[in-house]
Amino acid sequence: MFAVAEISLSGDPHAGLAARAAQGDESAFAGLYDLLVPIVFGVVARVVRDPSMAEEVTQEVFVELWRTAPRYDESRGSVRTWATTIAHRRAVDRVRSEQAARDRHDRDGRETTTTHDPVSHEVESSIDRTRVRKALEALSASQRSAVELAYFGGHTYREVAVLLGVPEGTVKTRIRDGMIRLRDELGGEQ
Amino acid sequence: MNAADLHHLSAAYALDAVDADEREAFEEHLADCEICRADVESFRDTAAGLGASLASSPSASLRDNVLSRITATRQDAPITGPSVIGLDAARRRRRTAWVAGLAGAAAASVAAVIGLAAIERGSGSDPFATELAIVMEQSDSQVLDLEVQGSAQGEFRVAWSESLGRAVLIGEDLPPAPDGKAYELWLITPDESMAMYVLDPAGDGDVHVALDAPAAPAAWAITVEPDEGTPTATGEIIFVSNVPA
Repeated sequence: MFAVAEISLSGDPHAGLAARAAQGDESAFAGLYDLLVPIVFGVVARVVRDPSMAEEVTQEVFVELWRTAPRYDESRGSVRTWATTIAHRRAVDRVRSEQAARDRHDRDGRETTTTHDPVSHEVESSIDRTRVRKALEALSASQRSAVELAYFGGHTYREVAVLLGVPEGTVKTRIRDGMIRLRDELGGEQ
Repeated sequence: MNAADLHHLSAAYALDAVDADEREAFEEHLADCEICRADVESFRDTAAGLGASLASSPSASLRDNVLSRITATRQDAPITGPSVIGLDAARRRRRTAWVAGLAGAAAASVAAVIGLAAIERGSGSDPFATELAIVMEQSDSQVLDLEVQGSAQGEFRVAWSESLGRAVLIGEDLPPAPDGKAYELWLITPDESMAMYVLDPAGDGDVHVALDAPAAPAAWAITVEPDEGTPTATGEIIFVSNVPA
């Protein structure tokens, strides 16, 4: 089929399955699930910090991926980025709606005062872990803590400002500069 | 929150580090801002790279649960026409000429080049996109929409970095200048109006130029001038915006 052939030329390993899933092919979506579930569940679990809630949210994420597959636009980013974006968004939404913010603040406040490595306790893909650790090491300590609290912690930049005791504008700048640096280090989509 | 603040929110937005009100405001802004769309796309790729380090496995039963739920879930109809990347923005989407003109191949290439700018800077196939990426990477970069005056048509947006001394100008849907006339871009400081560039809109009315910005602008303006350009503005101002203090 023309569309599938065209998409697979883009080099995205998930594009062919995503194109078939977009046309209602459930077995293709099952294949997509197998490829994407480690990153989707990993991101969700890191943000919500509760294994059973993480599974619930992961299930919602995959149903949303299925539902919206016909609207996925490859020119906007890879399939992995699409899935990870939805996973992180839904995890953050869940955490915020759970009103657990105060507890998490306290926990994170302690974590950031140590030299704790935010990604070390997860298993799987050691290559990715190594790449990310090296990329994070390229950031200044203040950029790194801002990006980590935002992405891994699921905090808003305002919450990050309170946690770090610095002005909101400073946090916005640190997040932006940190992400630009990370983008350089990680070299975009792998 | 004004437009200048919004332009610098793209990284925080891509990390979901904004509250619900800011998310909504930024997604409305995204529908109209090619620069922030490209920024968000590349930052989401970067965030996915961070996410890859977290890979882990849920229980095996989750797979069966997901697959049984999708058989009972109706898929959305495909969107025809350009899509918007804000996850919650679709129903608020305001299609404008700007979006329609830039949401296709040009926007995709800008996103790709920005993503690659760090490793392939200068070797990209689209020099303008590379210039844009470099300007936007500066921590002091600013973006300004020029306000249309009177009955003039088209849209202009300028991005610049004072530390870098470079600016990029994006124009859309410009009608041809009157016979013997041309559009000219001005960088206005408290002391002088500096002639920056005589525009030659391509046949489709688009302008994509990168240029030196040798002073800190207090305002940017576009006038109608004789087509060879002029060192001192004489004609009608058709677009102008002050730089917010």
